[in-house]
Amino acid sequence: MSAIIEIKNITKEFKVLNRREGLKGSLKDLFSRDYKIVRAVDSISISIEQGEIVGYLGPNGAGKSTTIKMMTGVLEPTSGEILVNGNEPYRSRTRNSKEIGVVFGQRSQLWWALPLIESFRILKDIYRISDDDYDHMISLYKSLVDIDELLHKPVRQMSLGQRTLSDILAAFLHNPKIVFLDEPTIGLDVSMKAKIRTLINALNKEKNTTVILTTHDMGDVDALCRRIVIIDKGKMLYDNDIEHLKGFFGSYRTLKIGIDGDLTAEAEKIQKEFPEFSVSNDDEWISVLVDEEKSTVMDVLGRLQASRKIKDMKLEEISTEEVIKKIYEEGV
Amino acid sequence: MKLKKYGTLVRAGLMESLQYRASAFVLVIGNLLYLIIIYFLWKAIYASAGTDTVSGMTFSETLIYLVLATALFNFMEMYIVWDMGRSIQSGDMVLMLLKPMEYRSYLFWSYSGEHIMQFITTFLPTFLIVCIVTHGAIPLGINLVYFVISVVMALLINYYINFFVGTICLYTESIWGINIMKQVIVMLLSGVTVPIAFFPETLQKIVYCLPFQSIYNAPLTLLLDGQPESGNVLSILVTQFLWCAVMGIACRLFWKLSIRQITVNGG
Amino acid sequence: MKENNLAFYLKIYFKIISQDIKSKMSYRSDFIISTIGMIFTNIAGFVSFWIIFRNFPSINGWTYNEILFLYGFSLISLTPVQCLFDNNWNLRTHVYSGDFIKYYFRPINMFFYYQSEIFDVKGLGQLAFGIGTLAYSWHKIGLAVTPLSILMVIVFIITASLVMIALQNAAAATCFWLQNSFFILDFVNKFRDYARYPITIFNPVFKFIFTFVMPIAFIAYYPSLVILRPDSIPLLSWLSPLFGIVFFFLSYKFWMFGASKYSGTGS
Repeated sequence: MSAIIEIKNITKEFKVLNRREGLKGSLKDLFSRDYKIVRAVDSISISIEQGEIVGYLGPNGAGKSTTIKMMTGVLEPTSGEILVNGNEPYRSRTRNSKEIGVVFGQRSQLWWALPLIESFRILKDIYRISDDDYDHMISLYKSLVDIDELLHKPVRQMSLGQRTLSDILAAFLHNPKIVFLDEPTIGLDVSMKAKIRTLINALNKEKNTTVILTTHDMGDVDALCRRIVIIDKGKMLYDNDIEHLKGFFGSYRTLKIGIDGDLTAEAEKIQKEFPEFSVSNDDEWISVLVDEEKSTVMDVLGRLQASRKIKDMKLEEISTEEVIKKIYEEGV
Repeated sequence: MKLKKYGTLVRAGLMESLQYRASAFVLVIGNLLYLIIIYFLWKAIYASAGTDTVSGMTFSETLIYLVLATALFNFMEMYIVWDMGRSIQSGDMVLMLLKPMEYRSYLFWSYSGEHIMQFITTFLPTFLIVCIVTHGAIPLGINLVYFVISVVMALLINYYINFFVGTICLYTESIWGINIMKQVIVMLLSGVTVPIAFFPETLQKIVYCLPFQSIYNAPLTLLLDGQPESGNVLSILVTQFLWCAVMGIACRLFWKLSIRQITVNGG
Repeated sequence: MKENNLAFYLKIYFKIISQDIKSKMSYRSDFIISTIGMIFTNIAGFVSFWIIFRNFPSINGWTYNEILFLYGFSLISLTPVQCLFDNNWNLRTHVYSGDFIKYYFRPINMFFYYQSEIFDVKGLGQLAFGIGTLAYSWHKIGLAVTPLSILMVIVFIITASLVMIALQNAAAATCFWLQNSFFILDFVNKFRDYARYPITIFNPVFKFIFTFVMPIAFIAYYPSLVILRPDSIPLLSWLSPLFGIVFFFLSYKFWMFGASKYSGTGS
């Protein structure tokens, strides 16, 4: 099977104005301007196949949005090559956009004043969706989510969650080959997040749509992604399945203990005892991230028990969030 | 302490306007072209009239009046109705009300920086150029003092009118409609586009009973009058002062009343 | 793959604006206030016009009714820009906030998609005002009403509209480079008021500028000569349809070029 998105060595640079500070600075800016080049994306290569759900992760300002903007034809890469469904997005933006759907969380693309069903009807014309396909899609939507109450509501009157849901439905309406979701669950409550994740999974299965997802929410990653790509400061850090990633840190396990007393102070003490492991705490537990290649969990537990009374304990596999945090911090 | 607070606002306004150097440039070019059009239009009008004086004004008097009126208009222009309308619609107004400063004075002092900037970049150069070009057609004496006093009051009246209209935005979503009505009324009745001397007599009488002519017509009359009669000057300044007081009180009452209504309604 | 042709765009356009008008009608008070504001603007414009001409019987050999004709002509030709391209006024806000990015994701022309979003019903009031003025002056001057003259007026009004639309597109598109481009748009907007005077009042240099650099002479003057001065129609009047199309095309290209330079602020 050939790749539906093929990115080879793309780089994107921006010219940024250095603004000087203070009143004197703005006076100076009036007469001379000082630019610097910022490399937002630095020779990244990715190849994605039809039907994959890929989590595209990285801290704020890592270059995620810039990459998405290049894949959707908003930005032209400074160098390198992108093929989305065989098209160069920036050169043939119109052709490319027929085969993609895009959702930018918190920025609705629907007609603000119109009821959702009218937006759908306009989109039906814009994408030249046949009556059969349109009806099929609407009945699929009806089987997946409760949209009857949404259909006749103007978008401006919807809650953020309803709007995001509507935007996602609109993005899949023309049955695109690829859907880009930028922070789709940002700002939503738990039940809405769950609803949206279920919807995305169902649409991906039903239509074999490729989904590229950027998010900060590890819940999204765990629920949706089989493969993740991590970038930071424009550079690719990791690209593989999520299982493989966990395998990397397979020797890590989190030991959680419950003790009496000031947990923060205790955690600091334990950190001093075990400088090679990272120790943290919340209201209930003190967590020690144990690398079993250095010493076993039982060993650590034994040493901890020697000096304090442990009321409770549990053992956890490393979470995706922790893995990604470790990758940001120290690389693969 | 209080002064320092206002000072900071003025400074922030100054910095903001400096950053828009492109807009400052466009503003200068725009005004130049506008003045050129005014010049040729009135030149043609006077040429066709066949007499030197129309409605008691010569060509150069009309031109000086219009040029300075335009400069004054640019210097005093404010977008308070938009600002207020937007912050009401976005809900930011609630945050403004929580600030430890009365909203009305907050807005006024925020605009002051811009006004100082505008005065320096638009009015002052225009005034100096007109002075030089016309070789003393503008008298330079005690009238300058009257003018400055008058301008300060004109600024206040203009601000009050804008704030009053802005308060209406608490009741309707139609900022555009409200703002355009205010704008055309002020433009027409303040004598900024056509000198009031050209108005038909009945209309002149009505205009002098309204606050709008106090914004542009009053300071310009004082500025261009070389032999000011104390009675005349006094009546203009007192009229302005009365409008200041009336509009100030009206603004305050209307704002207080509207805000109370809103807090009650929980809007 | 089917190409997007004119019929396709028209179909989508009417679908969007009919929905848009329907939803706007549901905000009745806003609709009414905006319409009143628009009527105010037209009345105020007319009153200043009338005040000037009360004092002066003619300008440069143009009679009151002839200038009234120009006035009505310019009002009608400014209607399309008001009704169909009003979203240009919001461009700056969309670009600044980053919301503009959504216009890249549809398989239709971006410029079309953007402009189709808003249809400004208020402009229709101006249209009615303009038609009334034009018909009145047409009658007063004693021009013949023939199918040909009606056809000519329509063609040349469309021509004039294209020029104004072009000016506004270009002005709005500057926001892709400048932070605060409102001044430019506002500046161009103010120029519309001066389009209604005969270009003959200017000296050769500015005649050239207002014909070729800032082509406001094409908004009313050159096109209406075809009707008003049928005995001596200058070449530029005949060429004005061509100019209209060229200006419009250039402004469209400029707008699209700006959009291609846009990087989308925010993340």
